[in-house]
Amino acid sequence: MNSANKTTRTRQWTGIGGVGLILVVLALLPLLLAHSYYIHILILAFIYVVVSSSFRTISISGQFNIAQGAYMGIGGYAAGLCSVWLHWSPWLTIPLGAVAATVVGSVLAFPFARLRTIYYAMGTLFLGYVVINMFTVGGKLTGSSIGLAGVHPLFSSKTQYYYVFLGFMIVSLACLYRFEFSRIGTTLKAVAQSHQVAASVGINERRVRILAVAFGSFFTGLMGALYCHYTGVASPASFGLAATLWIIMYVLVGGINSFWGPSIGIVILMIVPEFFRDLKGYLPYLWAVILLIIAFTLPDGIAGLPKLIMGRISNRRGKGEVKADASGD
Amino acid sequence: MLLEISGLTKRFGGLKAVSDFDIGVAEGEIVGLIGPNGAGKSTVFNLITGVLPVTSGTVMFRDKDITRSQPDQVAKLGIGRTFQLNPLFPDFTVLQNVTSSFHLHPHSSLVDIFFNTRKYRRNEAFVQEKAHEVLGLVGLSKVANELAKNLAHGHQKMLGVARALATKPTLLLLDEPLAGMNPSEIQYSLDAIRGMRDSGITVLIVEHNMQILTLCDRVVVISFGEKICEGLPSEVRANSEVISAYFGADYVC
Repeated sequence: MNSANKTTRTRQWTGIGGVGLILVVLALLPLLLAHSYYIHILILAFIYVVVSSSFRTISISGQFNIAQGAYMGIGGYAAGLCSVWLHWSPWLTIPLGAVAATVVGSVLAFPFARLRTIYYAMGTLFLGYVVINMFTVGGKLTGSSIGLAGVHPLFSSKTQYYYVFLGFMIVSLACLYRFEFSRIGTTLKAVAQSHQVAASVGINERRVRILAVAFGSFFTGLMGALYCHYTGVASPASFGLAATLWIIMYVLVGGINSFWGPSIGIVILMIVPEFFRDLKGYLPYLWAVILLIIAFTLPDGIAGLPKLIMGRISNRRGKGEVKADASGD
Repeated sequence: MLLEISGLTKRFGGLKAVSDFDIGVAEGEIVGLIGPNGAGKSTVFNLITGVLPVTSGTVMFRDKDITRSQPDQVAKLGIGRTFQLNPLFPDFTVLQNVTSSFHLHPHSSLVDIFFNTRKYRRNEAFVQEKAHEVLGLVGLSKVANELAKNLAHGHQKMLGVARALATKPTLLLLDEPLAGMNPSEIQYSLDAIRGMRDSGITVLIVEHNMQILTLCDRVVVISFGEKICEGLPSEVRANSEVISAYFGADYVC
């Protein structure tokens, strides 16, 4: 018991140390990077880390939400429309985008709480399609398929964006972490494993699932709003099915069963390729191979790799011990 | 009566799984609901707890009509239950299975939980302590940190009981607690169930293993969805209709 407490405590401290180190590096990076293009990539990475982590937060309640891009779009368009047509301050439109996504997300979660597994995924797939089409047919109001241009910028320099969005990412991740590793997260995971057993101990499945969607879509909408204010455009292409599939890919490659999985996925699929820009023509083929290898050999994604290796080692040791015992007899 | 069921009927399409079924359970009793496979025993449990919608009839618990209640509401009112198959959260540890089942007691609000207030931490510490207590009660303290899906079958069943106890039920519904258990596990379970009654829990047991008769104050026999007999264990054992339901009409002397 005592030693178990000790190992969890050391693990906690190494975790805190690791996160601290990454934060220090991220804080110093703009000073080291020569090219503002790299800062641009990192700013997008911050946004997608939160969007993918929110996807995962919704998924721990057993809901595979293929409307994630659409929730981001609702946040983005809500902020964009108020900015372009009403000229509201970005500091008002950004929270508004987050709230809009939360309201739409939780209202829609009500009927969707009746659906489970693949049926839920199918339902949200169609939902995403409908939402994106609404943006596309909006005519002059939403800028139709080209998108709504002229969303007011927040700052004039990329470095300012970098630090503010880094701050948004840290706070959002902290909230998502707290959400998952408290009694709420446990309840979400319980519902995902067996809704019948969960109901038998008094857990209201519908309430729990709506709560997960509300929480996840808040941060998704927040990031959608930030994205539109950064790029200056709200366009359907940024939030469509293709965008959602990339989000799902980040999560699955990084590891859907680990909190840091989505972030790892972003580093592997979004940041690392920037070092190989010369190979751009071959990149899709390379990706296909890497993704297939991960799909077949790493069910828990990259985040599951250390556990897999440790398991192999201890298995081999275990076998060795059995052999030693047998020879002793 | 703590639980009073009258005229309970459940149709699946043209099939009558349960028809016009009555049963009453008084406070402090252990009542057995026995019958051959497919007689509708588990369906009765699913109707009581709201897992399946009732076709007709009423279910009263503490003089309150719970016929149309949802499973989580039924649990809140004080009816705990175990499941015959898949009785647990497989990817949680044994301890997590029990702590997550303390969902109803004690209550922390969302704000308390999210901001990790003192009230929430006190509640969680209390839950941890109580969970260890419950695991001790069913004899699973040693495997508290194992994943539930790695447990042996008998242990999984006991964990199902521990989870049900965590909801602090007034009435506990046990769905075939002895199925798939070996003789020593059966003896242990019978003692454990007796212990629960002594601590003030009323128990309704579904079982087709006749060994349960030694435990029951009263037995109700169900066959093809209909009640065929009710009485003391000794009366039921001698009833010719029961023997014919179990072994076929040829065996009745």
